[in-house]
Amino acid sequence: MIVGKQKPFEVIWDMIKEYKKVLIFGCNTCVAICHEGGNKEAEILASMLRMKAKQEGLEMEIKNRGIERQCEHEFFDSANEQIEWADAVLSIACGAGVQFTAEKWPKKIILPGLNTTFIGVVERPGLFAERCLMCGDCILHLTGGLCPIARCSKSLLNGPCGGSSKGKCEISKEVDCVWDMIVRKKMEQGRLEDLLRITPAKDWQTSRDGGPRKSVKEGLVE
Amino acid sequence: MTEEASAVAQEGVSSVEKTHDIPSDWSPNILAFACHYCAFAAADLSGVMRLSYPTNVKIIRLPCTGKLDHIYILRAFEKGIDGVFAAG
Repeated sequence: MIVGKQKPFEVIWDMIKEYKKVLIFGCNTCVAICHEGGNKEAEILASMLRMKAKQEGLEMEIKNRGIERQCEHEFFDSANEQIEWADAVLSIACGAGVQFTAEKWPKKIILPGLNTTFIGVVERPGLFAERCLMCGDCILHLTGGLCPIARCSKSLLNGPCGGSSKGKCEISKEVDCVWDMIVRKKMEQGRLEDLLRITPAKDWQTSRDGGPRKSVKEGLVE
Repeated sequence: MTEEASAVAQEGVSSVEKTHDIPSDWSPNILAFACHYCAFAAADLSGVMRLSYPTNVKIIRLPCTGKLDHIYILRAFEKGIDGVFAAG
């Protein structure tokens, strides 16, 4: 899922304080799982901002609303009225959701309430970790299901490097060396010889180096 | 971004609360969220025993304090409650 982190409260306040009617707009899929941008978080943030407005003595109306996903047209219908009402919409979706909302409502002020951080997993409740860099050319079949693109600090294709020490990366003792993990996994599987094959340099055109990406599903697109 | 806000952003600390002088005759409005099975039962028993507690405390019974949601507390503050007491 996409992981995000709410911007600091004062930063959010600074963005919205000039508007009279503000909608805090949640997105109840990915960023709800990391408890940062869901409908519940929208309700909490709206409440805190209303109290802030009162303390600052500003006449503001702050409401909250949320939809299941801000990255698909279908879900917006139930929120049309509230978006129409607002002078500014603080979207606490990922960057895609914020932009999609802004595209759909070109005359509205759409503001970002989250920093979109990475694609990751819930390692345990409250702890989210990066797993995928969206390079567009998956090599997990070569590396035992552990991604060196996302999880090696240097994105090495033939590791580990000399900075690997006792299973940790040289950048921090908190960071596991994914190449150490890959080698150990291949040993456990009795497939260490897989790593004798050199993986050639990656073609990054499928990643961001090829510019903004689009994907077409034949038969579905009109 | 104001200088203050950027300083706060860097520290990652939000300063929602502004300090105010407290009048001498002021007493706080306290809202107590009590679990049906323990704290509320205790409050009930204290009533049976004819014990009294200050009138600025109001009790809301919950099936369990696990039912206590962030937004219940925030709504209480928005409506003028000064302190929330959770017992369970």
